[in-house]
Amino acid sequence: MRLLEAATLRHLARHRAQLALALLGLTLGVGTIVAVNLATASAQAAFERSLRTVNGAATHQLSAAGGDLPESLYVALATHPPAAGGTPLRVSPVIEGYAQAGNRVLRLIGSDPFSALSGAAEAAAAAGPGAQAAGDWLTKGGTVLMDAASARALGLKVGQSLELRVAGHTVPAELAGFIGEDAPGAEALLVTDIAQAQEWLGMPGRISRIDARLPEGPGGAALEQALRAQLPASVQLVATRARARETFAMTDAFTTNLHAMSLLALLVGMFLIYGAVSFGVLQRRTTLAVLRALGARRGEILGLILKEAALLGVGGALLGVLAGIAIGHALVGLVARTINDLYFQVAVTEVTVPVATLVVAFAAGLATALLAALVPALEVAGAPPNLALSRAVLEARARRIARALVPLSVGLVLAAALAVLASSRSLLAGFLALFLLLIAVAALTPAFLEAVARLAARALGGGSTVLRLGLADVGRSLSRTGVACAALGMALAAMIGVALMVGSFRASLATWLERTLQADLYVSAPGPLEDAGRLFMPGRVRELTTLPGIAAHSEARRLRVDSPQGEIDLNALRLGPRGGATFTLAQGGAPAWAAFEHGAVLISEPLAWRLKRGMGGTLALVTPQGLTEFPVAGVYREYGNERGEILMALRTYREHWHDDAVSGLGIYLAPGHSAEAVAQELRAQAAPDPLYIRSNAQIRALSLSIFDRTFVITRVLYFLAAGVAALGLVSALLAWELSRARELALLRTLGITPAGTALMVLAQSLFMGLAAFVVAVPAGLVTAWVLTAVINRRAFGWHIDLEVQSAGFATALVLALLAALTAALYPAWRAARAPLTAALRTE
Amino acid sequence: MLEIQDLHKSFREGGRTHAVLEGASAAAAAGEVLAITGRSGSGKSTLLNLVSAIDTPDAGAVRVAGAEVSALPEPARTLYRRAQVGFVYQFFNLIPTLNALENVRLMLELNGVGGAAARERSRAMVARVGLAGRESSAVDQLSGGEQQRLAIARALVHAPRLLLADEPTGNLDEATAREIVPLILSLARDAGATLLIVTHDAALAARADRTLELRAGRLEPRAP
Ligand SMILES: Nc1ncnc2c1ncn2[C@@H]1O[C@H](COP(=O)(O)OP(=O)(O)OP(=O)(O)O)[C@@H](O)[C@H]1O
Ligand SMILES: [Mg+2]
Repeated sequence: MRLLEAATLRHLARHRAQLALALLGLTLGVGTIVAVNLATASAQAAFERSLRTVNGAATHQLSAAGGDLPESLYVALATHPPAAGGTPLRVSPVIEGYAQAGNRVLRLIGSDPFSALSGAAEAAAAAGPGAQAAGDWLTKGGTVLMDAASARALGLKVGQSLELRVAGHTVPAELAGFIGEDAPGAEALLVTDIAQAQEWLGMPGRISRIDARLPEGPGGAALEQALRAQLPASVQLVATRARARETFAMTDAFTTNLHAMSLLALLVGMFLIYGAVSFGVLQRRTTLAVLRALGARRGEILGLILKEAALLGVGGALLGVLAGIAIGHALVGLVARTINDLYFQVAVTEVTVPVATLVVAFAAGLATALLAALVPALEVAGAPPNLALSRAVLEARARRIARALVPLSVGLVLAAALAVLASSRSLLAGFLALFLLLIAVAALTPAFLEAVARLAARALGGGSTVLRLGLADVGRSLSRTGVACAALGMALAAMIGVALMVGSFRASLATWLERTLQADLYVSAPGPLEDAGRLFMPGRVRELTTLPGIAAHSEARRLRVDSPQGEIDLNALRLGPRGGATFTLAQGGAPAWAAFEHGAVLISEPLAWRLKRGMGGTLALVTPQGLTEFPVAGVYREYGNERGEILMALRTYREHWHDDAVSGLGIYLAPGHSAEAVAQELRAQAAPDPLYIRSNAQIRALSLSIFDRTFVITRVLYFLAAGVAALGLVSALLAWELSRARELALLRTLGITPAGTALMVLAQSLFMGLAAFVVAVPAGLVTAWVLTAVINRRAFGWHIDLEVQSAGFATALVLALLAALTAALYPAWRAARAPLTAALRTE
Repeated sequence: MLEIQDLHKSFREGGRTHAVLEGASAAAAAGEVLAITGRSGSGKSTLLNLVSAIDTPDAGAVRVAGAEVSALPEPARTLYRRAQVGFVYQFFNLIPTLNALENVRLMLELNGVGGAAARERSRAMVARVGLAGRESSAVDQLSGGEQQRLAIARALVHAPRLLLADEPTGNLDEATAREIVPLILSLARDAGATLLIVTHDAALAARADRTLELRAGRLEPRAP
């Protein structure tokens, strides 16, 4: 190693604590990015795997809007396939439903083993004892294949018989084989022959969908054309890829928020790295100036510092990637749980490590370290190597820079405002505004710190000399105190903003639940929501709702319908006694409800936002008659479904879909009747079919607990970011106090007691923590506004009423003080204990 | 060898400008020893900064061996300093992360001399200042006098034409100063370097070939 390099690099080795803190900051920053990406990518991969299992070799699916298909359609396609350029069309019938085995709900798939295109059916055909098992399908009734994990959980062996509960009946079955565990996504799956599934599900002559395989290229396109021409209007042909993408888009907003949080952690980490690297440079100002005076060129000095930063960056980024993979494993569970709660079942069986993410995070960490070093490196290398330049001159310069940052800060806020005002839908512009805002906070903090330190020192004029000295020092050592305080202020602002956003969101959700859930009891048939078999027929509805103790009821038919914009959740309602009052309309007043009763629809805010529709527009839906336009009479608030949904009068739905079934009932009790007693009667009336009955309080509690679980990961991330900032304060204060060891020793020789010195260090640290908090309060409010009114509005479309709760501020204050206290402990101890002679000798 | 011609230099302080040098002129032959005295704040360090091209004058010129170093652009100024100037400071200014021998060898390395040759030359130089056996000592383990000896070794190891010393004894006790002064003078004379030595020490000034006093921004001869 060259001596020039040795001269600077050995500095790192000598200041191990500082080196460790710089590495830790970098590690946490990079680690958070990796962890979040890893967790979301793993959940995504698990989801895609399960899609592949279901879709398999099929490229397209044929299905009918909101219902099933006649088997004859399959027979027609199989015997007289559309011909186009001699390319063959492969089709396979599929019937889907749910079956209960023991306490487990399994997805029941009936498929034709000879034509199977579905991954699950293919996997079944290829299963271990499959050759024999597949043969059994043909000869024996009631044979099923089950995924190995479920079979194990149920204690079932091949050849054993079992009881299944399907569509309200108990049927005997026999386990003919396993679907291998290595068949990815084959979780909670039951496969049987199509005829058997039709019998069990009570759908003779009907199938759920037809899988189709169309070749790629022009031949496939021609075939698709021919196929479309042959299909009835109510049958749609959808590419499975498109459908998968459509479904996954649901989680986009969720992952966007996560990525924003991880970027926030990097931003705070960046300040920490900047602080660490610039302290390292400042500490060596004299050495670097001597080197310059002796004849080291500017480029050489610049190269030295950047090389050091690169070394630090590579080390920190590598550690960050490793830490990120470790944290990612822990986060996967959280993310998967959130996705399960909100969107669809995924079982994350393996953690996916996306190489691109690792590379990007590594590069981001390295670039941050280099960028952070570049500023002080340019400053040191660029200035004439004037050894006469005193600390006072340096600090005066730092104060000048801090003051110059104030107008810059104002400019950044204006730029943030412009980014918000100039765009109406761009989420990216929202994030840009958020980051500009946080950087503006950081830019403003040093000048603020200096001003309040000066004022406080003056205000303490008659008081403690030690305190006055300490506070004056904070303002006079801005080159060291400013950066640390800025990083902390920024992190606290982000914390307050996120806490207010989450709190307001929760309050909006609670208010909405309170207003919407007016019925005393909600009744539905148990089982997965999508299961078409779990419905009440009109006769059953009459039986249940005419029981004594029931004053009124509402009826709902929920299903997913197709539209030119993809699948949309439809909620067809016969309103309860309070009519539309249970909804809060964002657009359209009382006339909207009149129109609603006469065929118009209302759409939820997220849907209005996503489809850019509103009152006065129309919405086209695929009904059994084909595409039908519905007028949009209003927009209502809704927080339960971020994809959005449509509200339609049950009568309107029945007219178009010819479907009398109901998915759920809202029961209003007559005065003097207890909910328990009525629930009891409802259950007795429905026996032997089970009923799923929940009170409005139960649903409210469940919804809020799901909400809380969703934001667990947000909380984890923001504490991570705050931790990084606290660490910044620790390392900055440590570096500052250690560099002042001589000064503090001098004070002690002048007669200040060890306890007095320690107190001074503690007071300085607490003062900086408080200053950061004071800056963070207004900044946090603005951040909260951007998060609710801009980011969440643009990501999800819903309106959140910003509610200022003290809890968010209290947490931030406690954190600020805690960070300040932690940061002060070691330096205070050192200041009090360091032997005076040594402290005075070393320069 | 060294020609200082009508140097002007002022600093801006807040809104005011503060003139430090106002037409300082002097000349020195190769191997000559020039002592510079003056009150604190008279601009002695500023003058040395201009001679070593660390700073640039507002007007006037510094010529070394006929080349106008004050007009050189960066990095030529740095290369001039590296090859032709040696420094001895009041506060030693050794590199704390390098050991004694490495501090000396650094100058050779900067001038492109490496390997065994550099090691030999530095070792010999360290021995000449009386620090043989202390080569691998850490800098802060040396006493003040030893540190200054090491600084002298570092200043001369690359055989510069110019040796600039800014109050080399200012931070040393009297006894130590009495050892250091002859060391600087003899080593500079042996090397044939022109020595500019800033000092308040009358005894030191008395041993120089000439003494100049910096007063009101100008260099004026002072009777020995
Ligand atoms: N970089 C600078 N910026 C502003 N003023 C400076 C700078 N360098 C020197 N000065 C001013 O120029 C004047 C001369 O300084 P200089 O250090 O040359 O004096 P000196 O003669 O070496 O003093 P001393 O004997 O105390 O070392 C002083 O008033 C000093 O404050
Ligand atoms: Mg001086």
